[in-house]
Amino acid sequence: MTSNRTCLSALAMLLASVSLPATSNATVTVLGWPGGSEETALRAAVETYNGTSGVADADKVELLFFNREGFYDKLQADMAAGSTAFDINLVATYSIGRYAPYMEPIDLGSEAEKTFGDAVLKTMQFEGKQYGVPTDLSLHFMYYRKDLMDALMQDEAGKKKYAEISQQFLGKALQPKDPDSWTWDDWAATSLYFSKQVNSESPVRYGTVLQMKNLLFNMMVFQSLPRAYGGDWTDKDGNVTVDSDAYRTGLELYKTLYDAGASPKDSLSYEYPETNAAFSSGQAATALQWNAAAADLTNPETSPAVAGVTGIVAPPAGPNGRADHIHGLGLGLNKNAKNKEGATRFLKWLATEEAALAYARSGGSPALVPEVVAKVAEARPDLVKLGEFASKYGYVMNGATSANALSIYELQAKEFTGYWAGQQSLDEALANTKSGMQTLLKK
Amino acid sequence: MMKTLRWIVFVIAVLAMNFPIIVTLVTSFKSARELSVNPGLWIGQPTIENYLRILTQTDRFNIYAYLWNSTVAALIGTGLAILLAFPAAYAIAKSDVGRRTLLPIVINLRAVPLIIFAIPLYMMYQWLGLLDTQLGLGLILTIVNIPLALVILVDAISDVPLELDEAARMDGASSWQIMTRIIRPVVRPALVTTFIFGFITAWNEFLFGLMLTTSRAVPATVGASFFFAASGGGVQWGTASAVMVLGALPPVLLGLVMYRQISGSMMAGAVKG
Amino acid sequence: MTIVRRSEGLGFLTPLVGFLLLFLGFPAIINLVYSVSTVTFETLRAPTISGFGNYLAVLADRDFWRATSFSLRFGLLTAIAECLLGLFLAVFLAPLLTKRPVLMAPLMLPLMVAPAMVGLMYRLVLHEFAGPVPYYLFEWFGDSPAFLDINNAFWTLSVVEILQWTPFAFLLFYMAYVAVPNDIREAAALDGASGWKVLWLIELPLMLPTLIIAFFIRFIDGFRVFDNVYALTGSGAGGSTMSLSIYIYQAFFKQGAIGKAVAASVVLFLASLAVLYMLNWLAGRRRRS
Repeated sequence: MTSNRTCLSALAMLLASVSLPATSNATVTVLGWPGGSEETALRAAVETYNGTSGVADADKVELLFFNREGFYDKLQADMAAGSTAFDINLVATYSIGRYAPYMEPIDLGSEAEKTFGDAVLKTMQFEGKQYGVPTDLSLHFMYYRKDLMDALMQDEAGKKKYAEISQQFLGKALQPKDPDSWTWDDWAATSLYFSKQVNSESPVRYGTVLQMKNLLFNMMVFQSLPRAYGGDWTDKDGNVTVDSDAYRTGLELYKTLYDAGASPKDSLSYEYPETNAAFSSGQAATALQWNAAAADLTNPETSPAVAGVTGIVAPPAGPNGRADHIHGLGLGLNKNAKNKEGATRFLKWLATEEAALAYARSGGSPALVPEVVAKVAEARPDLVKLGEFASKYGYVMNGATSANALSIYELQAKEFTGYWAGQQSLDEALANTKSGMQTLLKK
Repeated sequence: MMKTLRWIVFVIAVLAMNFPIIVTLVTSFKSARELSVNPGLWIGQPTIENYLRILTQTDRFNIYAYLWNSTVAALIGTGLAILLAFPAAYAIAKSDVGRRTLLPIVINLRAVPLIIFAIPLYMMYQWLGLLDTQLGLGLILTIVNIPLALVILVDAISDVPLELDEAARMDGASSWQIMTRIIRPVVRPALVTTFIFGFITAWNEFLFGLMLTTSRAVPATVGASFFFAASGGGVQWGTASAVMVLGALPPVLLGLVMYRQISGSMMAGAVKG
Repeated sequence: MTIVRRSEGLGFLTPLVGFLLLFLGFPAIINLVYSVSTVTFETLRAPTISGFGNYLAVLADRDFWRATSFSLRFGLLTAIAECLLGLFLAVFLAPLLTKRPVLMAPLMLPLMVAPAMVGLMYRLVLHEFAGPVPYYLFEWFGDSPAFLDINNAFWTLSVVEILQWTPFAFLLFYMAYVAVPNDIREAAALDGASGWKVLWLIELPLMLPTLIIAFFIRFIDGFRVFDNVYALTGSGAGGSTMSLSIYIYQAFFKQGAIGKAVAASVVLFLASLAVLYMLNWLAGRRRRS
């Protein structure tokens, strides 16, 4: 009996210690993307803002960060249920259509255009309305091993082998080229040449690292390949064109490489960190990967095996030139915000040149117009490359900002990986994707 | 000879089953640099940098608060589940109510992904002011724990011979007294087991912790995932491992304290005989 | 089996039933409404009733049946393996463990770690370049299999699950095993019964209820597997490692098909309820005969 009583009193104590929900706060709460450079940069920017004279105490900005895993699922639940826990929330190009119903459009004024340029502002627009300030831009780089490419250029026997291999797998005899002038075929030939399973003399185990896990982000990495062949989700009239020759070519090329052993055998479970680990081990010659990986892959502390020999170029070219998937992360206004005026004031400030530069100097990756980026070029040379690639090769697929964009990526991930794994034919995969996309894009 | 064989089996079982834990432990003492060149199980240059980063970053990542939240919520979720399930299990085992309808329905709660209740629960919690509170999280964990608690306790109480009940009845004890004074001590190992399993389950729950907390009641599992994203982001393996080690410590300590209680179940056998 | 009066029994059930009704009653009703409605995250508070379309959509969905099949296979395989291994360890190691109870601790350790974390760690453990397993396999044998490709993912996931949860079965079995009264054992030994015979004719029958329950719990847990699979392979290439829980989770959050997700859960709930009733009925018939 005594232990029962102890048990009960312990429980009572616990209940008493439980905190009560907080009452309203008079500040502006911003929900940002946790961890990494985005968080560091946002913290620095907010510090600057709070220190600016003229910002009332009631409008001071407080930061809130969830964890990363399941972030968007949680955000979805919060916003759909009308959470007031934050005034400003994170939004991304691919999810803007999903969250726009719970957000309020904002007018950033003319200065925003001078800072970011029209194309970048568009990554935060849904149905013509501005929903966010574009704080960070993501795109892909083609990472490659400079040492291996240089050696191949000097190696006559290697060149012969290269031609043989490309003839065998791709149907045409190719010569090694400088990575910056690669077509996707050149990249494929290089990937095959540097794979042990194809070429037993290869100095590394694999020619490339394909991210083929059934995961929506991997479709963003993949789709620059069909895009370079003229692929798009829909034509101008909204007809789904995912079963085009461009997509066929791209999907087949991935499968050819995977089946030939040019990419690690577990590639079907690879995503961002696996790809980084594979490339930084020094056993892969190329990898198409997010720009965010550049810091790690070129840092001798984190990637001692490859840091000094990692080259970076834009993704290879197809018949339609080069294409590089871009999407923005940004901050926008929660419809249920308690302090809308304060929040709007902060967002407007965030879109100014002063704020964008502060953000960039603290490690963020905003895409800025050339005149503005020039002011931080010395401290952030990578931002120049980012801006250059984005403006030259950046694209957003038709429909990729629609309400169901995320679901479409999910669908593609499932069907395309099913084809790569040999679970279904290419025709089946494309037919399923097409009919699914038609439903998802219907209003 | 046989004894050696038993030891060999024991060592193999421990190593195989604990392999991911061993790797986690090893990884937590490696620097990012070493991780990228040394996948093996030895550590070239041990570092406590990963732990320091977690333990000192309290303004941003307050592991102490997360651990406290988890402890409170898991204790509520386990204690309350047992308090509710024990009398119910007694009734189911010793009377003719509940076995046919209630038991299957409650067990079924374990088979269904409870996350489908997330949205209505979220709205209900919003209304009740339970969002982002330890109590709110604890109450959900109670629901998560009830099915297993009920199954284990019904099983244990059913095993208690009727003669014990009958003898006590002869002495004029009420059902409540029998339950608390006769049955409870006899099924103590089962209660301890339920507590351990319940605590672990509650401690390790992720999805409800994610959905129902924002900042003040964030549990350790959710807090830990700040260092990694299973979809579309990087993983700092060293830091992630260190945070996993710290996050697993409380249930491990609990298990260490309580394993004796479980193996002390000889007592139950004696009574049964 | 009835020593407690019906009315009293009901009294003992009340707190539990009351609590469940209080907390799940409202969500359950809402969910039932959602399951027969057209509803998205935008219309959570104003779903339109649309009949049984969600149920039909679920039953006609090839992926629902694939996920069901995955869950059944995964649940059965892992439950059987965990119970066999757990039983073996409990009986074989009992002489060691009764003398040194502290040895229980390392055997229970795997249970203490969150399955999601274990899944995440295996991403490192099995990584061809950064993981210790392939590293040593390359070192010793010059090659390492593709643990997570389309042919091996199911088996790898099963092994991951079995290694973590065998201790659960082991723990229950060990408790049941040491609860077998020693005098019965001794009596049998005096009669000249061999160790095998004692095990087969006396100990196992006495442990039978625990065996059944452990198998049952492990099967349910394997069937509803989510965390470790989700962290390790997601839903797998082409949806090949999609358990029913993952199916429902993805329908709910990733596709925003709330009605469909809830309908699938209702189907699952009813189906498993039917199975439980059948088992109950069979057990009751057996008891009577």
